[in-house]
Amino acid sequence: MMAAILIGATAALAATSASNGLIGRPAPDFVLPAVAGSNVRLSEFRGQPVMISFWSSRCGLCAAQLTAMDRYYGTYRSSGLIVLGVSVEDDQQRAIDYAHAHAASFPLLLDKDKSVGRAFGIERLPTTVLIDRAGQVRFMHSDDRAGDPSYVAQIRALLDDRPERSDR
Amino acid sequence: MNMNSTLRSLLRALWPLLLTAQAVSVSAASPADVDPAPAPAPASAATGAASSPSDDAAAGTRALDEQIQGLKKDVVDLNKDLFVLEEELLFPANTQVAVFVSVDVGDFFALDSVTLKIDNHDVSNYLYTPREVSALLRGGVQRLYVGNLKAGQHELLALFNGKGPHDRDYRRAANIRFEKGVGAKYLELKITDHQRAQQPEFEIKDWE
Repeated sequence: MMAAILIGATAALAATSASNGLIGRPAPDFVLPAVAGSNVRLSEFRGQPVMISFWSSRCGLCAAQLTAMDRYYGTYRSSGLIVLGVSVEDDQQRAIDYAHAHAASFPLLLDKDKSVGRAFGIERLPTTVLIDRAGQVRFMHSDDRAGDPSYVAQIRALLDDRPERSDR
Repeated sequence: MNMNSTLRSLLRALWPLLLTAQAVSVSAASPADVDPAPAPAPASAATGAASSPSDDAAAGTRALDEQIQGLKKDVVDLNKDLFVLEEELLFPANTQVAVFVSVDVGDFFALDSVTLKIDNHDVSNYLYTPREVSALLRGGVQRLYVGNLKAGQHELLALFNGKGPHDRDYRRAANIRFEKGVGAKYLELKITDHQRAQQPEFEIKDWE
């Protein structure tokens, strides 16, 4: 019993540290094809806060997460918030069908070889990453509590950050 | 081996400069730490002083700022030199092969991606965003790939994906056999519009 608790705690700690390793560091850049529309490169949104939600059709909680992301996008897009959904699905056609069924107003991207998921250290779904205007990872959530008020507080904190003045 | 030793010596030369720059930046960020409350001046100096302590502090800050700017410039210059050195060491002229992409007009083709194969090995798979395509259409030339090849015969195959006339999915390939000699080899993938055929054209140009 004790051993199981210890193993569970160690695994949870390892998962937390893996995702937290990116916090405060530059977000890995990527370019991915979208289900509809053109390719998207993360670094092109430098200067704007970005929220990325990793999803899969096999994840039962992802639909609610995408709906919440869509709501945030609708509210804060005029303030400059960018929202991206990244599929880490094995079956591409399944991901495309799922994306069509859960039409979102923000780009849904396909990470065919899961290289982006690996770069962000995604271990659970849904996972949400919040990136600030300077391109640094500020918050990561491996849960489905997208409706939680803390999300709104964090989005507002990112939007309130003024872009830093460049010396160049 | 030669490359490693050169880089090591360059880093050894850079290290004290970077440390100094960091120290100066830290002290500039907290001037109160650098310049504590002025010590009481000797009576003789106080009576004969031409400038006030605030003027001295302002001059000191100005000098420090100039020093920081100078160090920043040095670091930028060294970074540039390091980049050039890295390019020369990693891709020496006798083995270097570079592939460029250019787009002219683009009425009949909207570029989405380019896959590059050299001697049947995938060397690059590049996805273009609308902003990159727009830069190419405005006359930009992109260096898609730079690598090393031994002298002799080679084959380059480029696969272009995008939207063709009437917004249909369009996939075309172009290939070239080229001779890699002693000098660097430059190849250009050119996408142009063929007005009469109302179709895009894909051409690979070998810059001798």
